[in-house]
Amino acid sequence: MNDPLKKIMVYIDGTEQSITAAQYAICLSRTANSRLTALYVVNTRALRDLVKSRIFLQAEQAEYQQDLEADADRYLNHVRQMARQKGVAIETFKTSGTVHTEIKNKINELEIDLLILGELSTIRSRRDEFYNESERAMRSAPCPVLIVKDEDRVWEMFEALT
Amino acid sequence: MALIELITEEVVKVPLISKGKQEIIKELLQLLHDSGHIEQIEVAYNDVLTREAQGSTGLEYGIAVPHAKTDAVKSLTIAMGISPAGVDFGALDGKPSQLFFLILSPPDQPGPHIEALAEIARLTRFKAFCNMVTAAVSAREVVEIFRME
Repeated sequence: MNDPLKKIMVYIDGTEQSITAAQYAICLSRTANSRLTALYVVNTRALRDLVKSRIFLQAEQAEYQQDLEADADRYLNHVRQMARQKGVAIETFKTSGTVHTEIKNKINELEIDLLILGELSTIRSRRDEFYNESERAMRSAPCPVLIVKDEDRVWEMFEALT
Repeated sequence: MALIELITEEVVKVPLISKGKQEIIKELLQLLHDSGHIEQIEVAYNDVLTREAQGSTGLEYGIAVPHAKTDAVKSLTIAMGISPAGVDFGALDGKPSQLFFLILSPPDQPGPHIEALAEIARLTRFKAFCNMVTAAVSAREVVEIFRME
């Protein structure tokens, strides 16, 4: 049987949950000797929708895009540092567009074996199922998906990794 | 974070009593202050007005989404209010605004701010939903409508 976890990708969106997912991905990558990738998608689709609905001005779109790009750089850098600290090689990517579509594209492009996501928000309405980007990524990913829960346990596991 | 997780009874006011744009913003900020979500009302007020000065956030169909990046909050913060009579908010269609979403976020957290606004943009496409919310007579009813949706 081929190694089922040759390539792992973790999705980072700037939430605490996604950082916990990154810690878990680093631990799993070390244990399974997998190649690790981290992806951040700048949600330009949402920005365009906000201009279209007139909630945003054009100038605001540009300003927020810059903010999101900086956010992506900051979080991907943080994840790189965490991986380096644990002796795990990591490749990071920043793309832009519709989040779940970009995730799917990157999985196909890199032939990812496992997508790791942070804990999903509580689904309290049908609307959440349709529009929550992590939820959509989970449903549309063409590979197995792992959802990371229990922040405290993951933190202990990450800290214990020498 | 889903919008519904932020919309609780303590940050929804029905009805809003103010009759003008600036007063509505102040009334919503006061609601956030009274519920312990912000301390520096003036800082947030100035940031919201600075954004409004660039172009009104009064949309069509009686909806307004005043928003700003501000140091007055530590995380994404939302207040909602309904003015049954409507207020002139400089809306695109020239009609009075009745349903208000005030969104405040810290300058270093653009992601949640964008997600919340995008969710409101999607919701406000459904006129039936907006009509149902606008017709609500209490904060509890507003929260229940959001949970049912």
